[in-house]
Parts: sequence; structure tokens; C-alpha cells
Amino acid sequence: MDDQEIFTKVQKCVADALGRDEDEVQPDKALQRDLEAESIDYLDITFQLEKVFGITIEKDELFPQKIFQDEAYVRDGVVTEQGIEFLKEKLPFADLATFREDPKVTRVPDLFTVGLLCNYVKMKLSSA
Amino acid sequence: MRYVLIDRFLELERGERARAVKCVTRGEPFVGDAYPSALVLEALLQTGGVLARSGSGFKTMSVLGKVERAAFPVEAHPGDRIQLDVRAVRTRPEGTVCEGVATVDGKVVGEAEFMIVFLPEELAPPQDPGVTEVRRNLMRALAIPLEES
Repeated sequence: MDDQEIFTKVQKCVADALGRDEDEVQPDKALQRDLEAESIDYLDITFQLEKVFGITIEKDELFPQKIFQDEAYVRDGVVTEQGIEFLKEKLPFADLATFREDPKVTRVPDLFTVGLLCNYVKMKLSSA
Repeated sequence: MRYVLIDRFLELERGERARAVKCVTRGEPFVGDAYPSALVLEALLQTGGVLARSGSGFKTMSVLGKVERAAFPVEAHPGDRIQLDVRAVRTRPEGTVCEGVATVDGKVVGEAEFMIVFLPEELAPPQDPGVTEVRRNLMRALAIPLEES
């Protein structure tokens, strides 16, 4: 499956789960900040991706419930270098380049974009 | 006290499918000439909630997450016996997607797709032994098999 096909299917999954027009669902859109996803929507998206792509998404693999459990990862509201390395490990499919420029912990939810979902699906399909 | 809109479970395959019935009576306070569609939906959701929880042996608490779609082509009326058939379409540790159909004498009075979400332990209400016993008695009255046969 090529990148365009993956994106088209992810776009439909997200649009269906969030009740949005497909045009609004673009790779750079953050699920919570731009598309107003709520906690229940993340579960719906997970169900949809599993069904459409025939993949199994382990609990906390795509949308971890609690990311930073260690105090060393966040200091004064900013994710430390150690925390960023941990994020890289936990979310290998996330694009951290922009986050590194301003690593406030409040910006972590913005990592979860439509593009991240596409990267995740591509990773899962290639390891199947 | 929550209102229970199921009269009896006829079949329950844990975590897979359930069949229950709800008899419509004019004696219910909100029933006029027709049974409200919203309550047909509620009956389906309650059936789905039991089905979803049965998958874990009723160890989890659950809440309704989302109703994806619902339709009510025909009304139910006092005297009708509504059959509620719900099956689990997809299940994950966090919840279950269900499809349900409510029929009266084979005619569809309601159908819906919905998501039941399992409460994480830290969010589940404390288990008061008195309330648990009342709940178990209610489940027995509804013929819900509490132990796996």
C-alpha cells in the first residue's frame, strides 16, 4: 500500500470518527488542537484503524495514557533532553523536529497529528 | 436507583452476543400510545453494556462512549414484546463496539451501532458490598448468568 492510499484511508477513518469533512483532515492537523478530538474519539480512531488496515494496535501503543512517569523527563513544564529521547523511543513514528524547538509539555498533545497516524500505520504494515 | 429497561436475558454468549426482551406496558410513566424511540435505544444500550462486561466476567465497570448511528423505522406500542439482539463487533481492552437490533414480531423498531467503554480501575466507583449485592441480585433476576457454565 503506498503513502497516498494510506493517507486516504486514514483521512476517512479520522473524518468518520470525528464527524468532520474529509477536506479538514490533513496531515499537519493535530487531532486535539485542530480537529477537536476528545478522549473517546481516540478509542474510536483506534477501532477504525484496526478495522480498515487489518492491524492490531496494542493498548497504549498509539495513544499512550501516561507518557511521562519519571520526574527526569519534565522540568518546570519543559520536556528535558532525556524526556525527548524517551518520546523518541515511545513514539518512533512521531515527528519531533518542531517539538524540539519549543518542548513545552503542554505541546505534547500536538504531536498527535493525522500525519503521525499515517506514519504509525505505515510502520505497522511494513512490520506485518 | 437507575431504571432498568430489560425484563430478561434469553441468551448470552460472553463477549460475543446477547438476546434480551423488554415488554412494553402502558403502566410505565412515559409511555403513551407509542414507546419512545429514545428508550428503545436505551434498552439496546443496556443490553450492550451487559454483553460488553460479560467478556471480562463482569469485573469491569462500563459507560456508554458513543452512539455512532441509530434509526427507528417503526414504533413499538404497549403490549409489544421487544426483542433486543446485540452483538460485539470489535473488542479491545478499552471498550467494545456493538451493533444492536430491536424487533417486535420480526419488525425492526430500532437499530444502532454504539461503543461501550470500560472504566479504568482508578475511575471506577468504589465497590460498596451492599450495592454489589443489590446489583448481583438484579442480574440474577434478569437471568444474566454470572458464572461461566
